Amino acid sequence: MKKIAKHNIIAVLKAWAKDHTVIAPQRKDHDEIAFDTFDEASFTLEYTKSSVSPKQALFPQNEVIFRIEDGTYRQVTDEKKRLLFGIRPCDMKALLQSRDFMSKDFKDVYYEARAQGAATVVMACAGPQSPTCFCTTTRSGPWSDAGYDLQLTDLGDSFLVEIGSAKGEALASSELFSPIDDAEAGRLLAPLRKEAEERIPLVPQVLEVMEKLKLSGVPDDAWEYFGNKCINCGGCSFVCPTCTCFNIFDRVVSEGNGERIRSWDSCLYAGFTKEASGHNPRGTQGLRIKRRHEHKLLYHNDRKTHGAVSTCVGCGRCSDYCPVHIGTIEVAKHLTEKKS
Amino acid sequence: MAKVSTICPFCGCGCNFYLVLDEGKITGIEPRPNNPVNKGMLCAKGWNSHEFIDSPQRLKTPLVRKNGVLTETTWDEALDLVTSKLSSIRDTFGSNSLAFLSSAKVTNEENYLLMKLARAVFKTNNVDHCARL
Amino acid sequence: MTNSINEMDDADLFIVTGSNTTEQHPLIGTRVVNAVERGAKLILMDPREIPLARYAHIHLRQNIGTDVAVLNGMMNVIIEEGLLDKEYVDTRTEGFEALKNTVSKYSPRVVEQISGVDASDLVEAARLYAGTKKAMILYAMGITQHTTGTDNVKTVANLSMLTGHFGFPSVGVNPLRGQNNVQGACDMGGLPVVYSGYQKVDDPAVKKKFEDAWGVTDLNDKPGLTITTMMKAAEKGDLKALYIMGENPMLSDPDLGHIELSLSNLDFLIVQDIFMSETAKLADVVLPAACFAEKTGTYSNTERRVQIAHKAVDPPGLARSDWEIIQDISNRAGYPMNYANTTEIMAEINKVTPSYAGITHSRLEKVFGLQWPCPNEEHPGTAFLHKDKFTKGLGTFLPCDFKPLAEVPDSEYDFILTTGRVYYQFHTGTMTRKIDILEREAPKALIEIHPDDAKRLGIRNNDLVEVSSRRGTIRLKAEVTPRVPRKVVFSTFHFSETPVNLLTNAAHDPVSGIPEYKGCAVKIRRIA
Repeated sequence: MKKIAKHNIIAVLKAWAKDHTVIAPQRKDHDEIAFDTFDEASFTLEYTKSSVSPKQALFPQNEVIFRIEDGTYRQVTDEKKRLLFGIRPCDMKALLQSRDFMSKDFKDVYYEARAQGAATVVMACAGPQSPTCFCTTTRSGPWSDAGYDLQLTDLGDSFLVEIGSAKGEALASSELFSPIDDAEAGRLLAPLRKEAEERIPLVPQVLEVMEKLKLSGVPDDAWEYFGNKCINCGGCSFVCPTCTCFNIFDRVVSEGNGERIRSWDSCLYAGFTKEASGHNPRGTQGLRIKRRHEHKLLYHNDRKTHGAVSTCVGCGRCSDYCPVHIGTIEVAKHLTEKKS
Repeated sequence: MAKVSTICPFCGCGCNFYLVLDEGKITGIEPRPNNPVNKGMLCAKGWNSHEFIDSPQRLKTPLVRKNGVLTETTWDEALDLVTSKLSSIRDTFGSNSLAFLSSAKVTNEENYLLMKLARAVFKTNNVDHCARL
Repeated sequence: MTNSINEMDDADLFIVTGSNTTEQHPLIGTRVVNAVERGAKLILMDPREIPLARYAHIHLRQNIGTDVAVLNGMMNVIIEEGLLDKEYVDTRTEGFEALKNTVSKYSPRVVEQISGVDASDLVEAARLYAGTKKAMILYAMGITQHTTGTDNVKTVANLSMLTGHFGFPSVGVNPLRGQNNVQGACDMGGLPVVYSGYQKVDDPAVKKKFEDAWGVTDLNDKPGLTITTMMKAAEKGDLKALYIMGENPMLSDPDLGHIELSLSNLDFLIVQDIFMSETAKLADVVLPAACFAEKTGTYSNTERRVQIAHKAVDPPGLARSDWEIIQDISNRAGYPMNYANTTEIMAEINKVTPSYAGITHSRLEKVFGLQWPCPNEEHPGTAFLHKDKFTKGLGTFLPCDFKPLAEVPDSEYDFILTTGRVYYQFHTGTMTRKIDILEREAPKALIEIHPDDAKRLGIRNNDLVEVSSRRGTIRLKAEVTPRVPRKVVFSTFHFSETPVNLLTNAAHDPVSGIPEYKGCAVKIRRIA
């Protein structure tokens, strides 16, 4: 393991930025923080979690996947080298799950190209990043156990640096990183991790509702309470780090020229499952919300989740950005508190 | 990547969000959690509002009707024609033969300027917009 | 809005009338839903069973166009039962006796006859509103798009003044504006009677002020034409040239057949837009403009909050910002304009517009918007209006009597058509119809018809029907749903394939000029 002084972080980021597009927490107007291209002047280490997950770097909301130019097709893949600095352990877990999913039955060449070019520098959490964090319940934080290139843990004036890959080894090879004895590092980490874990409250209802779903213990009409409130914004899917559904559409640019674009889609939109006949197998908003939560908390839990209990990684963004409080936490609490 | 703060172009709520760019091309929307209007939340229109910006159907060139057909032209030709027509109609039929519709979609600054053009330059109060519609 | 959006989080009661808030102002509508979930009450007045109806404690489904009667009925109950805020009425209002006389005619029984609203529901709604201090009224075009729109608005104001519901946090009357900058377009003087900041064109002092500020003489002091009267003037040949910036009257205006005649009758039509709209197709000159993402400038939202948006990308091709185009025309017309950017234009707005005096671009970079009135650079902006006293002094009760729709159903045209928007599309669809997911969710207009009516006419879901008014005919698919009351059909004006405004009535409110989109007589029959 290695260590790096906090005052050297900027120097390291600048070095990385020479051959990567570094995406890091940046102070924007009105003192708001967003993940954006690294700029020394507005870079900050005082941040919580990003509003949209880092999936946006590997799976942008809109992406041209091929072009038709004068009658010929050209596949468009993005092989740019990106370095995602300061992503949170829950998001790291999501990136691992998504990469598996995107290459499971059919290799998504567009995602894979971006994923191969991406380096990940995880920032372990010292506690919840917002009141909606529940990664300790889903076993996807507050630190990463594998899959990262580098993981940083805050030691006050410095960061402890764990190296998770050969790519990470190369990233941490400069003299700004000083070696630290592994046993010594372990002694430093253990109490910090214990403390971090204790600070993030467990939400046992999430596990309870997972059990209930498995036993088909949630009747369809229980979901209509949420269906009535939902305004079909799609935001929960868009901010979710493990949602990867997309819509495909073509655009004519000019005579003989066009492009095929994929864009984030949401199973909360009726048209997502509506069939050409007009029939919709998920015909009510309640059933669509049911499907979304089954997808997160039931269908894929026996799949490779990289150690998490589900394909929900407990980031809490669906609670943060739902205008009517239909986040996973609220859903779990509602469905377990009600006698149903 | 770049993120530029903006205001939703649809209803009157005035939701704040970032436009997300990659290599100068708009690729999506990101919430701005701290603003008092929408606190990061958006509706389906807001979440998808970036998509019409680079539509191939956007108007890209001034058009002037020639022999009954709208035909591509230069800004100079289009604006010379606009100015001479507005001026000659005003001179022949008076200021109140002209009217201007400003827009509930453009900025305050632009609405002010169109209002000023109508009143200060062409001396008409025939200025309205679709507030009623 | 006289209040701020955030004040909704503390309100104990909402009256929502003529607003499908969760679909048309979603981030305001969800505040209502969340408020109801925390215990606030909701009185909904809407003929349609809109999504908010699920949260309403009382849903008054009045017959279309009977808003004045219903609101007068509530005031009748409030006065009869002594539930008015007497101190407020005595100290802050005038004209109470006249109001009392008018509303005395609107007993719950009479109102039930006119509006179809159950008398006991009306009484309950009146008691609930009068008895709740922190009560906010939200309304939108369902109130204003009537030939009695001004009467509707006055009557809403009467109700809230009678019960002291004005001028406090979370207490007030809140029109919801339907476009991102309709508030700003009004504020900036995009109206025939006022300069920016609602300074009247026929006030000699105002005229002098703008002549000095702009360095011109002979500013016109006669009020100009509204959009509706412009179209009439064009049809008659009195209006020769029209310059349209970012509007699409060929889909948005009532009685489209006449609009097309009017626009075609012009000597010269200039359309400045981002897409080839139905209106642009008729133009003599089309000027390509930048869209919101391609320029820096400010927009004023429904709560009077002026916010800044920043340029993210260059406009496509040769397209330019609207202000640059206007400036070029002005320079060619011999009146020099030399603004380097919109910040400089805003500096001029600050100088000539008292309510915007303190709203500078540099301040807007530091705060999340400023709410006018904001009279100087130290002023924090104004969260709610009419604190301590009305802007004009005492609030005057302006009693109104119920008047029916301009066009009521008869034996031939036996349905009322009411129009509005759907959630996934916006206005004339020029923007949202270019967005693939939104177009997938709402690809075409449907006409909503009640199951009882549908059965009688042999119409099933998705059948093609023909809908005709005295002005035109369109064909579209039916959606059979109890969302609409019996003898009422609803459709939307987003779609140029089925321009519902071919049917609507151009009859308009005599004061505001707003056409009666919310009710005209039609007949309907099944085609296939």
